[in-house]
Amino acid sequence: MKIVMFVGRRLVRLVLCLFAVSVLTFGLLQLAPGDFAGIQAAGGGNVSLAQQATSETRSELGDRYGAEVPMWEQYTTFMTGAVTGDLGPSYRYPHRTVEEIIASAFPISAALAVTATLVAVGVALPIGILAAVRRRTILDTGTMFVATIGNGLPNYLAGLVLVLIFGVALGVLPLYGWQGPEHMVLPTLALAIAPIGVLARYVRSSMLENLRQEYVVTARAKGGRESAVLIGHVLRNSLMPLVTVVGPMFASLATGTIFVEQIFGIPGLGHYFTQAAVSRDMPLLMGTTLFFAALLMVMNLLVDLSYAAVDPRVRADLGLASEGRRRQDVADGDGTGDTGQPVSAEGTATRGAI
Amino acid sequence: MTATAKSGVEESAAITASAPRATSEWTRRWQRFLRNWLAVISLAFILVVSVVALASPIIAPYGYATIHAGQELLPSFSDGFVMGTDPLGRDIFSRLIYSIRTALFIAIAAELISLSVAFVIGLVAGYKGGKYDQILMAATDVMFAFPGYLFAVLLVAVMGRSTWAIILALSIASWVGQSRLLRAQIMRLKTMEYVEAGRSMGAGGWTLVMRYMVPNALGPVLVTVSFGIPANMLAESGLAILGLGVAPPTPSLGSMIIDGYAYVLNHPHLIAWPTIIFIAIMVAFTFIGDGVRDAFDVDET
Repeated sequence: MKIVMFVGRRLVRLVLCLFAVSVLTFGLLQLAPGDFAGIQAAGGGNVSLAQQATSETRSELGDRYGAEVPMWEQYTTFMTGAVTGDLGPSYRYPHRTVEEIIASAFPISAALAVTATLVAVGVALPIGILAAVRRRTILDTGTMFVATIGNGLPNYLAGLVLVLIFGVALGVLPLYGWQGPEHMVLPTLALAIAPIGVLARYVRSSMLENLRQEYVVTARAKGGRESAVLIGHVLRNSLMPLVTVVGPMFASLATGTIFVEQIFGIPGLGHYFTQAAVSRDMPLLMGTTLFFAALLMVMNLLVDLSYAAVDPRVRADLGLASEGRRRQDVADGDGTGDTGQPVSAEGTATRGAI
Repeated sequence: MTATAKSGVEESAAITASAPRATSEWTRRWQRFLRNWLAVISLAFILVVSVVALASPIIAPYGYATIHAGQELLPSFSDGFVMGTDPLGRDIFSRLIYSIRTALFIAIAAELISLSVAFVIGLVAGYKGGKYDQILMAATDVMFAFPGYLFAVLLVAVMGRSTWAIILALSIASWVGQSRLLRAQIMRLKTMEYVEAGRSMGAGGWTLVMRYMVPNALGPVLVTVSFGIPANMLAESGLAILGLGVAPPTPSLGSMIIDGYAYVLNHPHLIAWPTIIFIAIMVAFTFIGDGVRDAFDVDET
């Protein structure tokens, strides 16, 4: 029962937040000089849009967002559309509707984020385990040093390094476009590098912490092979808190593909968001922004629920979830979210994404 | 003789101990920072880069927009062009150091603005609590639902690609986290006994906050600054990569990279130089940030 209350309360907050985001976005866009149809017609965004648009879409855009339509009516039209899934045509791509664009572009970004997360976990686990087991050897310090550097690399710089190595020097992978699976390799790796650094360090410290526990002594005393102790006991217990890191990481990846999409020319959601911003395509910009915000908030909710699933202490706290979060803020006073406590997804959202 | 010297040492130690606590605390942090040689080297590197960037009008061999007709796309280490030239015949080295100057200026200005806003809001929300606090937390919820760079993109799209628009966009995207951090610090310190003691001796709200709490809340804030400046530099060049950076011909690392990308197969030096230098700067900032964090002892791992 409590869980239903918790989810319900969070959903109400989510809807209120989305409402605020929509008002904020819409208000901001109104501050831009001129009405949007006018800017587009004058070529403020991209070339020859006025010719491109059929008279039909132009009149539909005029009906929805023309200069003579009052501002609040434009807003309610948009929001009604957002709820019913009818956002109307885009300015930049007059032959397509906004919901069509989102539906075609989001799976691409999502596929990138999912594969990048899988690659990150797959690479970071063995690295972290190895570093923990061979603690204080060159293997440990070396990999952790590389992990630190990787952690500080934003995805587009990492992507450029990969481009220079695999695309230019070795010439084995395509540098641009989105046709076959080989086009996925470089963008995925670019996205995965920073998460690998974070995860490998996290796995290492989590393993080390568990290796100190008394149950390890017991397991060894019972005569189990070292590998059995490591995999059967230590690793299993070290993996639980990992869920709390992977969740927010995936959330920030799902909305953070924008730069990689721009560099590699991938037609994902981030690409359309950018195009909409550059050409001031109001319907598409509103649509993608709201979609991103909703996506992020739903992911954060799921992450919080997954904390509850792995950590009974959080579960006990559920009724007081928002208070619990504030107390955690006070404890995690350095703001870096590096305390080894379950890190709030919200903490990573501000900067982690870039 | 030795005994006198020893007592002298003890005496000076006693003097240090009786000096104002803030000073000795900061000296200790500085010494802890100095022990981390990686951070010290990184700091030296960043200082050199900053000086070069600041002095770019003097150091740069050419202007960032000077076009050398007939000398387009020269390779690196050509005569007079250390890093070669771009498709318009502009010197890459000159453009690079001007770019770093722009990036540093924007990053530091945005950090200062967001820090000032965060100070006002964080202190008020943390100290006054109640209604102020609730408003801040509501704003925080909304901003956290809005990835910072998306908001920055939106703002630049509306305000245009001027330097100040970008600075404003970056600072608006990052004040929330710092406000929350300061609020949490103040709330923690508010219940401390020494603050209680100060209050019972008649210190007013202003004195309590500024003299008693802010000095102790500064540590974690400084850590966020050492991570915030490189994050802002990244965001600035990120905006340029999306086509929303400073307007041309003013160079930016991001626009150098995205413009050079079209030529990457045959002229990789166009993106190699900005990428390498930018990565070096980012890695240096990472080490500095780690050093600062260790110096403040806010991280236990």
